[in-house]
Amino acid sequence: MSYNTPNISLPKFTYYKADNLTDALSLLKQYNGNARVLAGGIELFKQMRQRLIVPEHIIDIKGIEELRKIDVTDRGIEIGPAVTAVELQKSQIIRDKCPPLFKAAAFMGDRILQNSVTIGGNLTSGLPCTEGVPALMSMDSVLEVRSAERSRILPVSDLVLNIRKTTLNSDEIITKIIVPYNGGLSGGYLKLLNASEMAVANVAVALFSAKRKLRMAIGAVSVKPYYFDESTLGWKWNEPIEENIRVALNAIGSTIQPMAYNRVASAEYRGEIAKVLAARALKELFRGA
Amino acid sequence: MRTIILTVNGLSKEVSVNDNEVLLNVLRDKLGVTSVKAACWKGECGLCTVLLNGLPVKSCMTLAVEADGKEVITAEGLYSDERAKKLQESFVKHGALQCGFCTPAFIVASHHVLSKEPDIDGEDLKKELSGITCRCGTYYQIYDAVKDARKYYKKDH
Repeated sequence: MSYNTPNISLPKFTYYKADNLTDALSLLKQYNGNARVLAGGIELFKQMRQRLIVPEHIIDIKGIEELRKIDVTDRGIEIGPAVTAVELQKSQIIRDKCPPLFKAAAFMGDRILQNSVTIGGNLTSGLPCTEGVPALMSMDSVLEVRSAERSRILPVSDLVLNIRKTTLNSDEIITKIIVPYNGGLSGGYLKLLNASEMAVANVAVALFSAKRKLRMAIGAVSVKPYYFDESTLGWKWNEPIEENIRVALNAIGSTIQPMAYNRVASAEYRGEIAKVLAARALKELFRGA
Repeated sequence: MRTIILTVNGLSKEVSVNDNEVLLNVLRDKLGVTSVKAACWKGECGLCTVLLNGLPVKSCMTLAVEADGKEVITAEGLYSDERAKKLQESFVKHGALQCGFCTPAFIVASHHVLSKEPDIDGEDLKKELSGITCRCGTYYQIYDAVKDARKYYKKDH
């Protein structure tokens, strides 16, 4: 059998296994525009098999130890982009301190793929159905992004530009995902898949009760996730939860513009499901509060 | 081309590969390990599942060069494992296959699950195996077969 066909074979490329970040960044600079970073590889290889992208150089960052760590620092919780979905679910730090991300990780592909899928790859896929973007947005997370020359901080909410397009430059790597809270936050993540396991809508919520902050991100209904806080949701802390949820659903309904994408779901259905999931997520969030 | 070293089912193999070859190509075409099946090429069907350094991965989504220096276990390599043998017998007993194309992948994945969690049950077990497709639809029988084989993986057995 010949494997030299689109959809089956990968186009030709040269593989580099970077041992440290400096090497990875200088390779990326050297082959700027013609190189791709390999973390989990799932979405990358899918797009390469379809010849949507044909990079001549692949830089594997999985061997870089500092990109595989989960740490608690004075900036909050710092997660390396090469941490896998299974590692997120096994981490006590993520379980205790980043509940929306902990729950979202269970949806990042099936259980076998989750050994390969990385949080960095999930974010940079730029797909509307990504779990990581809304989960991290609900926790006001930022990314530390580096190229060979410079380093910058990019809010997760500014990452996705369009379908499969992000605001990362072609010579940049996400080096850290920073959740700027160290505990004191409860949260949830809900996602509805259709029969062929494509996302109809997903909702991440986070509540910082001590700071009276409520955040919600709704993904998969449109190209980019929508972000809400207590003021855009019309949340009033002294009102009953039921009334708050009613007001919030109205706010969500008048803000989101659902798309019909990929024959997964009609725009109307997506919009309705987004509200159903939002209501459910808020109820669950305040059940114990 | 570059030369990589894979330990496949306990045997060390030196093999020349292209950078764009995936582990699935190398196992089937260069090393003759045919229990690993090629079907969807997009990480969806799970029929190419192997254990790479002890973790199940889909070998169509893993570059051969990424596996350099690592240990690969396929269904063939489980033959010498008494528990896996019982697991395989359980598949036969429960009629957990029709065409058998997905069976090696299910054996590899369920062996991995039972080795680390011999008490697994219900939705957890279904979720663990949800990455593999059986187009004959023998999922109920596979579930029963794996559940029945749990006893062989418990310490006191």
